[in-house]
Amino acid sequence: MFSTKRVLTISGFLVVVGALSAAFYNVMPSSHVQAADVKVADPTSVVMIVNRDSNDLAFMDIKTHKIVGKTFLGNNVNPHMVMMSPDGRYVVTGGTRANKAYIVDSHTLELVKVIPVGIAPEHLSFSPDSRWYYQGNPEGDSISVIDMQSMTMVKTINGLVEPLNITFTPDGSKAYVGNYGAHWVGVVDVRRHELMKKIYLSDFPGVAKLDPSKYLGETKGINIGMFSPDGKYLYAADGDLGIVAVIDPREDKVIKTIRVGKEPWRIYMGHDGKYAITPNNGDQTISIIDLKENKVAATLEAGPDMTGVNFAAGKAFVISSTSGYVYVYNMSSLRPAGRLKIGTNVQLETATTDTADQKLYLAESTTNSVVIIDARTEAIERVTNVGLYPWGTHIMDSKDNYCH
Amino acid sequence: MAMVSVRHRGWKSVLHGSAIALMLAVTVPSIARAQQVNAVNSDATVAKEDQERQALLDQLAALEKRIVELTAISPQSVPTSQIAMAAPQAAAPQQAPAMPPGMVMPQTGPSPGANPANPEGNPTDSTNPQDLLDRIKVLEQRLKDLETTAVLSEPQTRTKRVEVYVDPQGGVHDEPVPGARKTVTYQRERVYRRQTMSEQIEAAIADAEQHKVEVGVNAGIVAQFGFRTQGDTAAPTNRAYELASADLFFTAGIAQNTVFFADLVGLGGTHPENEIPTLTLINGYSARLQNQNQISVREAWLRTEVMSGKLAMVAGRMDLTNYIDHNAAANDETSQFLSDALVNNPMLGLTENGIGFVSVYDPKHGFNGKFGFQQSNSNAASLNESLFTMGEVGYVARLPKTGEGNYRFWYRTDNASGTGYRSGFGTSIDQRLSPRLTLFGRYGEAEATVNWNSFYSGGLKFDNGFGFFPGDVWGLGYAQTHLQTSEKERVIEGFYNLSLTEKLKLSFHLSHFLEMQQGGTKLGYLFPGVRLQANF
Repeated sequence: MFSTKRVLTISGFLVVVGALSAAFYNVMPSSHVQAADVKVADPTSVVMIVNRDSNDLAFMDIKTHKIVGKTFLGNNVNPHMVMMSPDGRYVVTGGTRANKAYIVDSHTLELVKVIPVGIAPEHLSFSPDSRWYYQGNPEGDSISVIDMQSMTMVKTINGLVEPLNITFTPDGSKAYVGNYGAHWVGVVDVRRHELMKKIYLSDFPGVAKLDPSKYLGETKGINIGMFSPDGKYLYAADGDLGIVAVIDPREDKVIKTIRVGKEPWRIYMGHDGKYAITPNNGDQTISIIDLKENKVAATLEAGPDMTGVNFAAGKAFVISSTSGYVYVYNMSSLRPAGRLKIGTNVQLETATTDTADQKLYLAESTTNSVVIIDARTEAIERVTNVGLYPWGTHIMDSKDNYCH
Repeated sequence: MAMVSVRHRGWKSVLHGSAIALMLAVTVPSIARAQQVNAVNSDATVAKEDQERQALLDQLAALEKRIVELTAISPQSVPTSQIAMAAPQAAAPQQAPAMPPGMVMPQTGPSPGANPANPEGNPTDSTNPQDLLDRIKVLEQRLKDLETTAVLSEPQTRTKRVEVYVDPQGGVHDEPVPGARKTVTYQRERVYRRQTMSEQIEAAIADAEQHKVEVGVNAGIVAQFGFRTQGDTAAPTNRAYELASADLFFTAGIAQNTVFFADLVGLGGTHPENEIPTLTLINGYSARLQNQNQISVREAWLRTEVMSGKLAMVAGRMDLTNYIDHNAAANDETSQFLSDALVNNPMLGLTENGIGFVSVYDPKHGFNGKFGFQQSNSNAASLNESLFTMGEVGYVARLPKTGEGNYRFWYRTDNASGTGYRSGFGTSIDQRLSPRLTLFGRYGEAEATVNWNSFYSGGLKFDNGFGFFPGDVWGLGYAQTHLQTSEKERVIEGFYNLSLTEKLKLSFHLSHFLEMQQGGTKLGYLFPGVRLQANF
């Protein structure tokens, strides 16, 4: 039926096509991620844990509480804060002692890029469109701007003073920088990546010159500016001044200052938009701020060395780092609601809250564990051996993603 | 013709041949020379490039040596990417960092925007001059970073509490095994954390602070003037008084959740109570005065916490009113009102410190309970003769449209009078009306010989920026004491406390005492005063 010549021709054609296909497949093995390489299919399903002394990022499944993977960053990197890009593609961290930024694929957990940045990178932020990764370098007084498309550092924004945290506007046009070594909030034009304004918070008291040990000593300035949940105002606490400044982002100027307790560490926004909290380490209290009235609604007793506040199940959980306690407050009655003992001789770090506002994931560095607190029942579960010296946690889309 | 032509052709051929030979003779040597020259030039260029390359390599080696000096000699402290670069001529394969098992290695293969095989984007390891220059640039930047922040790279050693499982044969296991019992031990751990010198120094200082006895000083000088405003003209007037006090505090952590505290006080000077008869003390400092110009032990106690910190127990020489009858606005003569009626509730009836015990139950829910007893008369032979017992329930409330409020109710008994146990009760309230305004009040009654004595006080405190400077506090208060003997006292006081520094405060006081003595006579005094308070 077929001539030998035709059979040979067809066979040869098939062989060539097969060979070409095989060759093409071999050339493009990673153009799509193979299922076997994927360790995290859904980026919202994991808690990211940054381990300072084992120099890695650990990924814990939210449902099973099992570590599903770790990404080793290198020796003596000492990563500080971990964050996922809003599009869920990458996880990034700044290596404080390596002066580098680390970019990890959020699905395969592969370290895909290491970028030299400024000195002692710590806290960071993403633009809402995931394009720009701003890495703050507190000891270098700068922010390194990393383009996530080209994965290159495109600019260094200088002129800052110990930039500790960066907050983008919801539309991504501006970024506000908390300068812990100064008393002004920096406004960065994100299109040009340039510092375009310094927002002056408040005058110093006239007696400041009589107190050089306080005002000429270690500066406790502004940790972060945080938007109210409705995005209307930006709130920034100043440690030395003992105030929270309310900033109108349309004009970038302070419209009101609220006096809070001594040495407020920073401000944390409640999820319902009614209240915010400043932990005041100077007098071991918290100030609960009414966001509608922009005034202090209550000042309540708390503990020493507070490093964070999380909101869940209608309560506020205030982490007292060195005491081993988490103080609980009822956010409806604005009254104390007990305290949870996490451990004895332990050091509590920071926590994140899941997107359902049900559980807190608290890093506990001295026992290399993450403590999971059920916000409703206040039951505690401990996941051990997450890595050496876990320093912080992060969940994608959580409203309580912060670092020290 | 043919011969001529042949000869002619031969001559031409000879000429042509000669010309070619001449050309060859000229050109070949010149070509050869040119080739020789070119060869020489080529050798020179190569040598020059070699020299430049060697210079770059030398520069690289110098940079790498400096980097190795700045980092640690230990390979753990030098990123392996640098180790690979430190020996470029060895052409060693790129080493991945030493990685604990179970961790994810950077995989080969293209990834969006980066090369996972070389995530740091280091220049390639070759002897190409441009590559060498690129590497020098990278190393110079690295050197600059290292020189900017000198860091320690020695492994850090710390001891940790670990739970282990010990089997019947004494073998230690990290995980449970059949027959093993769980126990706690302490074990050293080494980690590779790089810290700056300042971090190390800070940690050392903090550690030293934790283990030393903390000393604090609270020193105050109070100057007051007394002007009689009404009453007996023979009573003293236009008098000046000055009292100086210094408290030395010693605090030491001596065990888990256990603290020792001692307060030594020295007091000297004149005080108005010496010559002006008032029911309550005009200057609250006078309550501390036992012996002029002598140091006395005001308090010395041990405090420990149990039940996850919910229950605290204090035992030793103490002032029970430090725990009971608290008030946020009127409780401290060193920073608030000076008149004792606006510092304590006279119906407590406790006039001196003594040996005692107090327990404080505070689950931090807003409710708290306190119970304690104390020797109320230091001259008594035993506690049976001078037992002051007291209990209090406190509650943190938040009324509508107001801030937080503290509501306390107490009850006490005392047998120091020698006529059996006499009781008393009272309340102490401070309610924040706004962030800058606090309302306070006290009420109390105490059983006396025939009837009951009574007391009440109230006032306002202004703070949180309601003054000249942010830390300023000022207040107005009124107190009235009514004894069963029909004696009455009405006290009104205003003060302004200037917060000059965190450790130094200057306050101005103006108080008026109106005493209605037995028989209906009245005696009034105005006391302007100044208090300088240092607390450090």
